Amino acid sequence: MQWAVLTAAFLASAVEFVEAFTIVLVVGVTINWRSALAGAFAAAATLALIVATLGVALVRYVPIDILRLAVGIILILFGLKWLKKAILRYSGLKALHDEEAIFEETRAELRARGENIAPRFEPFGVALSYKAVLLEGLEVAFIVITFGSSSATSTCNTTCGIGSAAIGAAIAGILVILAGAIIKAPLTKIPENTLKFIVGVMLTSFGTFWGGEGFGISWPFSDAFIPVLIVIYLLASFILVMLLRQSKQRRIAEANVDQPAVTTPEQEVLH
Amino acid sequence: MKVIKAIYNFIVGDMIILIGVVITALLLALIDAVNVLAPLRAISGVILIVAVLAVLTATLMREAMGKR
Repeated sequence: MQWAVLTAAFLASAVEFVEAFTIVLVVGVTINWRSALAGAFAAAATLALIVATLGVALVRYVPIDILRLAVGIILILFGLKWLKKAILRYSGLKALHDEEAIFEETRAELRARGENIAPRFEPFGVALSYKAVLLEGLEVAFIVITFGSSSATSTCNTTCGIGSAAIGAAIAGILVILAGAIIKAPLTKIPENTLKFIVGVMLTSFGTFWGGEGFGISWPFSDAFIPVLIVIYLLASFILVMLLRQSKQRRIAEANVDQPAVTTPEQEVLH
Repeated sequence: MKVIKAIYNFIVGDMIILIGVVITALLLALIDAVNVLAPLRAISGVILIVAVLAVLTATLMREAMGKR
């Protein structure tokens, strides 16, 4: 057992697991857990297949930069779509509505009538969860293989090194899942539009980060730059909400000025 | 055609976002590949962030104007 490799793999993998789990968590809370878990398990199965087939050759044959670029661009597209809707709802330009509440209401009605509805699979949620887990899972596999194989010594060969790194990554994965299970419950109490807004910001931030890495951009502070991106997009979104609200209020005021005041005969007498 | 439209609606559903992100990706690919543009590589990250914000602002402005 190589403790240095185990610790390094644990720390590096924990970052990747947190990134993947964040997206699975937001898909689970905003769309549904069935879709989030289906995507995550499908990605885990794909990953297991890739690792089992390629093994150590994975590092040589899977172009991680191209994968990052594709996933990054798709996440930016998804993220901007969600962010746009959430900002429009916050600014009052689009009606606030709670799709989940409508779904729950319908389900309650059907249950009351003794009927059952089939559990829903949202392709959007499954795809999001799948992509995030696959990309981050591949990165964890890369970490385990590269850390493990590069740390081979006279006392510990490549298999021993990869084993140590794999144990470190597995511990990180279990801890992140446990932490996620604890914060899952409070998240479900947040209003739907707020969650969609947060998801939009998260997806855009992760998309910018991964897409940028795919283009060869080396972000300052590496993975620690993701929270900076989140703050930038959050601030920009708040400013946009304020601007759109002001613009809406101005238009309402202009419409009121343009409309001739209707006065009743009683009011005219008073004047 | 229906399949393409379904994929488009599933992924983005907004032409401004799609075109904006594609142009940004092309621009960054050019900066990464063309040697003359090499000095811009240092600010590629800033270009990406600004472009994403510009795309978001443009699509929101279009929606706001459309509501008039």
